[in-house]
Amino acid sequence: MAAAPSKRDEARSSSGSSTTSSVSDEAEWLDADQDGDDDDDQEALAVISLVDDRVFPDATSMLAYCRDEHGLDFVGVRDRLALDFYGAVKLINFIRQRVHEGIAVSGADITAADLDDDRYLKPVLDDDALILCLDDLPEPAGATAAAAAATPQDDGVDGLLQKNAELQAQLEQLAKQFSSYRLAVQQTLDQRWEDAPAGAGAEGKGKGEDAAKPADEDAGVVAKDESEYYFESYAHNDIHEVMLKDAVRTDAYRDFIYQNKHLFAGKVVLDIGCGTGILSMFCARAGAKQVIAVDKSEIIDKARENIYSNGLGDVITTLKGRIEEVVLPVASVDIIVSEWMGYCLLYEAMLPSVIWARDRYLAADGLLVPSHASIWMAPVADAAYVADNIGFWRDVYGFDMAPMQRGIFADARPDVLPAAAVCDAGDAARRAFRVLDLHTTTVADLVFATPWHATLNAATAAADVDGFLVWFDMFFAQSRHVPPDMIGPATTALDWVADPAKRDAGLVAFTTGPFGTPTHWRQGLLLLDDKNKKKLAKVDAAQKHIGGVIEYVTPDGHARGVNIKVSFGPDGKDDKQDQTWLLH
Amino acid sequence: MLKDEVRTRSYMNAIVQNKHLFKDKVVLDVGCGTAILSMFAVKAGAKHVIGVDMSTIIFKAREIVEVNGMSDKITLIQGKMEEIDMPFPKVDIIISEWMGYFLLYESMLDTVLYARDKYLAKDGLIFPDKATIFVAGIEDGDYKEEKIGFWDNVYGFNYSPLKLTALSEPLVDTVDMKAVVTDPAPVLTLDLYKCTTADLAFSCPFDLTARRDDYIHALVAWFDIEFTACHKPIRFSTGPHTKYTHWKQTVFYLKDMLTVQQGEKIECSLHNRPNEKNKRDLDIKIQYRLETQDSTRQAEGTCLYKMC
Repeated sequence: MAAAPSKRDEARSSSGSSTTSSVSDEAEWLDADQDGDDDDDQEALAVISLVDDRVFPDATSMLAYCRDEHGLDFVGVRDRLALDFYGAVKLINFIRQRVHEGIAVSGADITAADLDDDRYLKPVLDDDALILCLDDLPEPAGATAAAAAATPQDDGVDGLLQKNAELQAQLEQLAKQFSSYRLAVQQTLDQRWEDAPAGAGAEGKGKGEDAAKPADEDAGVVAKDESEYYFESYAHNDIHEVMLKDAVRTDAYRDFIYQNKHLFAGKVVLDIGCGTGILSMFCARAGAKQVIAVDKSEIIDKARENIYSNGLGDVITTLKGRIEEVVLPVASVDIIVSEWMGYCLLYEAMLPSVIWARDRYLAADGLLVPSHASIWMAPVADAAYVADNIGFWRDVYGFDMAPMQRGIFADARPDVLPAAAVCDAGDAARRAFRVLDLHTTTVADLVFATPWHATLNAATAAADVDGFLVWFDMFFAQSRHVPPDMIGPATTALDWVADPAKRDAGLVAFTTGPFGTPTHWRQGLLLLDDKNKKKLAKVDAAQKHIGGVIEYVTPDGHARGVNIKVSFGPDGKDDKQDQTWLLH
Repeated sequence: MLKDEVRTRSYMNAIVQNKHLFKDKVVLDVGCGTAILSMFAVKAGAKHVIGVDMSTIIFKAREIVEVNGMSDKITLIQGKMEEIDMPFPKVDIIISEWMGYFLLYESMLDTVLYARDKYLAKDGLIFPDKATIFVAGIEDGDYKEEKIGFWDNVYGFNYSPLKLTALSEPLVDTVDMKAVVTDPAPVLTLDLYKCTTADLAFSCPFDLTARRDDYIHALVAWFDIEFTACHKPIRFSTGPHTKYTHWKQTVFYLKDMLTVQQGEKIECSLHNRPNEKNKRDLDIKIQYRLETQDSTRQAEGTCLYKMC
């Protein structure tokens, strides 16, 4: 699993702890090592001491022995001379050569010039295990320090002064990071202590609030299983890489936050579902006083590291857990930022958590980022797509696989369709079937049935329609009070983007629809089954106005899914067909 | 997967063009999926085919077989190979498309070997019966920058914790033939008549010889599959030199970049074993060492990877 610490990290932390204990008894070393390595599947190593012929099971214990018993601090010399990998190899061979020749080696006396000779690249010992595990040794305190120290002979006094200043800045940075790290550890511990009494339930995850609603218990168990899977799915790198590299998405958040620094300066911000921490770091850079980043997924451990390595640990506090369960260090926040959108906007059902947090924590005049969302639907016709994805099954290497077609019409397909597949009369006539002002939307608003209409373009008859395409637009306004004409069912994200006045004012929007750059959300394709396509084929070719009702329903047993039911037929007539698509 | 032309067509040719081998034989299709291989076997004249799959796809497969009028020739069983009741005590031929990424990741080979040991008649045939993994060095600077370097600067932030993870995860992707700098070297050859599950943990030293002066950022691995029982042997490759397959190739980025000159050898070794905690994951270790007269280009390293 990507979230598991890498072997190198483990090696680093274990060496950190073992170097603090001074050990005189070899048996203790062996015991400690056996305990520590039980669950590790590394093959047994035989690391020969640098100063004598004693053999150790790992490099860390060998180097600790050399340092503590013989005053030869290998890592210290390496860092003092700012040696890279090859330099370190030379250092090993230099020491081994000296020892071999019976010359006493003092770490403090070794200079860079001693290691100049390339013959020290050649191992003195065959299969020297120390060389093999060089990469596992703790790294120098900072790469910049190493880089600065790499050319000491070129530096005059100025260079040294500058280096000194750099090191001092680095020290401050580290001190800051450490203090914020200590704070985070403290908070985590406090939280665990608080959990312990209430957490009589399984896994110590139980919270006061859970205990307060035992009536939901059965439903809770089912929902929890699905959610466990949901949060786990966000533990891996790949999904975050896809999201971060979705420039439509990430640029929109960045642009809004950086172009509206006045909104963030000095404010307390809550980031729900923070992932790798990118939005929290945008807010911190924009001047937020405090950012609280919450995520239930294991990825938050990486977010924490990212935040520290970017020196923002004193501004951003990470909390692992569901937003409904964690204890925030503040009573209210000025801004909630979250990237909660799923396929067809509401798949994943993360918005209810944002709404819950809004009602619980957002200050009376606080801002939600993004602030508005609208959902759109248009009829599509794309014969090539249908042939490639549906017709395909009727002749697979000479076999008829019709049964494979069936499920195709039952599910909403996340896919990117070309703009040319959209067969309505165009922008001017199109209306969003749902507009959500996220400051006031309630959970009840997310389950709805609402009329929709479309006018087919001149080239398309109802008989040509293969299905419907659902997408959403997101809007980032600077205040919860926007003029009524700024966002409505006829407003598209691309309208905002095309309007220089809005752009200059720092208003940001993006679309996931077929007229914009494709995003990782793609669009939701609802394909009509044969029966319904035949029904539509009977509609008079002159009838350009079609419509019906679209419903978003939460399916039984899939709390994070969405069922989309669409009825359709000629406008103004009762003769409607319907079909339901699942998004699980 | 059915749209993977190289894969499906190779199986089709191996089976349908060898009617003399399949005529009146009892065939077992391990991990039958939509039953396409089972139906090929019927077309080739098999007396009966048993298709086994754990997935619920088997219910669709039954309908497909019915639609194609082969229900009396194909018996489809849902379950684990190890747990099902086989309607025949022995089979003459085992067919299976068991290969995973890097041949072995999430592969069904252990199931095929179980079926072989329990059900294959003496002198029975296995389709395919030979698999070989190859490795070569590639120049991949641009893409390494995009996949690995990306984490150095994410919208102005340092994301190095994710870089470490990215380096330790082999990347399944297509590699352009032009990127290949060295001759390929085989690191594992499996003879499906003889191999055992113990062979899936292996260690292999090998040399990569540079074909031209270039940089090497990564090693790429792929596999070839052979049906040697055929009248005219049929094989297909998933390498960068040939047509796309859904297996693509597997790229292992090295921490360092090597600079090689034509004719130079990189001494390498590859160790693979299933993870002890999760057998489906693979732990892979690659060691490399470049010996040259030019000491500035000497390079050596060990990289650990986990396919999960």
